[in-house]
Amino acid sequence: MYEITEQPIDVGRVAAAVGDPEAGAVATFVGTTRRTNEGRSVTKLEYEAHVTMARQEMRRLAARARRRWPIRKVAMVHRIGVVPLGEASVAIAVSAPHRGEAFEACHWLIDRLKEIVPIWKKEHYRGGTVWIGAQRGGPPRPHRTARTARRDLP
Amino acid sequence: MARVQVRVQVRYFATLREQLGDGGARRVRAGTTVGAVWEGVLAERPGLRRLQVRFAVNEHYVEADRVLQDGDEVAVFPPVSGGC
Repeated sequence: MYEITEQPIDVGRVAAAVGDPEAGAVATFVGTTRRTNEGRSVTKLEYEAHVTMARQEMRRLAARARRRWPIRKVAMVHRIGVVPLGEASVAIAVSAPHRGEAFEACHWLIDRLKEIVPIWKKEHYRGGTVWIGAQRGGPPRPHRTARTARRDLP
Repeated sequence: MARVQVRVQVRYFATLREQLGDGGARRVRAGTTVGAVWEGVLAERPGLRRLQVRFAVNEHYVEADRVLQDGDEVAVFPPVSGGC
């Protein structure tokens, strides 16, 4: 299961998708939207994706994980559009014969997803909005205080 | 005879979409690289030069020296930030 969805993520369904009689472990990771980022108080979060490529890249990551660990099945789901605070924006499940490789592969998959899969997060604050990551290569990031950060918003 | 021009579909995402629009079809000289197409945009919008971008052609990441073929979809991405 490799999905980009505008609907709330059903974590149970993601975990169930990797069910396998040869697996003795299912590791899951659920990423949730956080109210505070770098000292700024977030009022709303939204995500955008290159939907078809994002699904392809998730499949490619799963194939790479399978070459590294003796895992059975992988499921990855990312939500896009507005995601209310505290709800799941991403869920990953990995089944494997033993827990070690399930944990390791799951950890590796979320790290690579954040680096590679074409998805972007936009944070809304009372003072403005920021596309996370778009500051890279630009001027230094704002200090970790809400006041400074707000003044530095584009 | 070799084509003189190729037709490509350009797509922008996230902050680039907000600043440049969705993109659209454009004709470029045969042999043009994906990087050259972006340099053409930067010539008109130098403020975007500070942004690190990555390119994808037909849903695969490519380097800037990738030569465009007729019918290619060219996507220009700001740094990705999915996850949580």
